[in-house]
Amino acid sequence: MKATGRFGTLSLNLYFWAFVAFLFAPLVVLVIFSMNNNMTPTLPLSGFTTKWFHQAFSNGELTGAVARSAGIALTTAVFATALGIMASIGLMALRGRALSFAIAALLLPLVVPYISLAVGLLILLQALGTGPSLGAVVLGHAVITLPFAILVLLPRLRSLDPAMSEAAMDLGATAVGAFRLITLPLIVPALVSSGIICFVTSFDEFAIASFLAPSGKPTYPIFLYASARTPALLPDVIAIGAIVIAASLLLVAVAEGGRRWAERKLVGSGAAIENAVAEPTISLAGTQ
Amino acid sequence: MLPPLLFVVILVLVPIVFIALYSVGLRSNIPGSPTSFSLADWRDFLTGGGGAFRGRFVYSIKITLFVSVVTTIAAYPLAYFLSFVARRHRYALLLLLLAPFFTSYLLRVIAWQIILNNNGVVNSLLWALHLRPRGSAVSWLIYSNFSVALVLFYTWVPFVALPIFVVLENMDHRLTEAASDLGASRSATFWKVTFPLSLPGVVAGFVFVLIPTTGEFIAPLLVGGPNNQLFGNSIQAFFGDSPDWNYGSVLALTLIVVVLVMMVVFGRFLNTDLRAGPGAGR
Repeated sequence: MKATGRFGTLSLNLYFWAFVAFLFAPLVVLVIFSMNNNMTPTLPLSGFTTKWFHQAFSNGELTGAVARSAGIALTTAVFATALGIMASIGLMALRGRALSFAIAALLLPLVVPYISLAVGLLILLQALGTGPSLGAVVLGHAVITLPFAILVLLPRLRSLDPAMSEAAMDLGATAVGAFRLITLPLIVPALVSSGIICFVTSFDEFAIASFLAPSGKPTYPIFLYASARTPALLPDVIAIGAIVIAASLLLVAVAEGGRRWAERKLVGSGAAIENAVAEPTISLAGTQ
Repeated sequence: MLPPLLFVVILVLVPIVFIALYSVGLRSNIPGSPTSFSLADWRDFLTGGGGAFRGRFVYSIKITLFVSVVTTIAAYPLAYFLSFVARRHRYALLLLLLAPFFTSYLLRVIAWQIILNNNGVVNSLLWALHLRPRGSAVSWLIYSNFSVALVLFYTWVPFVALPIFVVLENMDHRLTEAASDLGASRSATFWKVTFPLSLPGVVAGFVFVLIPTTGEFIAPLLVGGPNNQLFGNSIQAFFGDSPDWNYGSVLALTLIVVVLVMMVVFGRFLNTDLRAGPGAGR
């Protein structure tokens, strides 16, 4: 007997696809209004236009904020992933109570509410005598994304056969050489996953950035927040938003396709593909 | 090992210590003002004149619990569908469910603002269809409990479905076969075998929404009215427009403690146990 009868299958199908429609509805709304010839996003539609895209691209503050966020996110992704490798390799060597303690400490940023962490970092900056800066935003973003990097990298490192690096070292490679020539190429898919997750999290982060970014240098989410309350800016924001949405969804599709391809090449088993999907997404679920 | 650990200590633990110092008056954000140990702010918040903040705290916990429960109930059928109906394409469909998350959260909240606004998509659609007189907006659609809860629900449903899906996937399917072989109906099999076995995933999903929602402050800023602001908004205000870092620290530390207590109570259900080797917790 199957788990669901014909009626159950039908209603679950309907429910699922209705939900997908619900989840994508706001995105569709933004894309539609990005091409609507009206200052105010309201129905009925007023005809097709591309003027908002032209206007948005000539809005230096907006494009500047997007570029700023992209820079911060890229730095964060590289930095957090590098720290994540260090942490994961360190964790592999630990056992027992030391391991539990180190994991608890490293995953701590997952359970401290961003708003509390943000004001704490603001206080720290003030105590150090330095004002808000984009560097501070990167540090804040690196600390909140480090747990994601570890959650993606550690299981992948653990799944490698230690005999491979041992063989390399028996054949004369140094520990660093074995890591660079054997381990690193094998964890490339996990590195890419970690980088993407950290990038997306940082690019989208508002709470910490809103407290740590200097007032004249808003990040993209800060600019979004400000313009959500300024009707004149809304069309620009919607236009850039539509592009960001398309780019993000494309990134998800390409990353997923690329990872499946890489996993199939490296491991050649269905189980690895399942892990590749489940692990990064589970770790993502901790995001606030 | 040491650099990442130090990094977390300096950027997470040290700030929490500073918050604690501010909360008892041992530091001040106003240069030159005297500092001394004082529990006055704590007393005010817990039992004194800070009733407004206590009220907002209670409101936050209520709306958080409500959203968590509703989200978990709505997410279960999604996970069940993926695991038992959409067998072949389940990972692709799971990704479809999660994909909107990869686009900016603020953008999605702004989109909801556009949908729910007084002259937004829903209202103007009702006018165009002559279901409501033009210019008369549905009053509870935005700046209400409904709009705040809806945005939070929207944000978290996919992430509650995820842990439930993982548990259903790892369930021993011979158990449900055995139940039906022994004559159990589909609903009896579900309620007596599948559902009890999936409870760890349900609790994990519940926590996945409970913890981040407890500190939420963005959705209320954009789609909430003055009466729908959450505890996080109080903290933000004390460090923003009307600065009182000492009182704000009391609230910020309270939030940290509440979330840590939730983690201790529910944490063992979360699938982030990395202590064991490969395949652990799967």
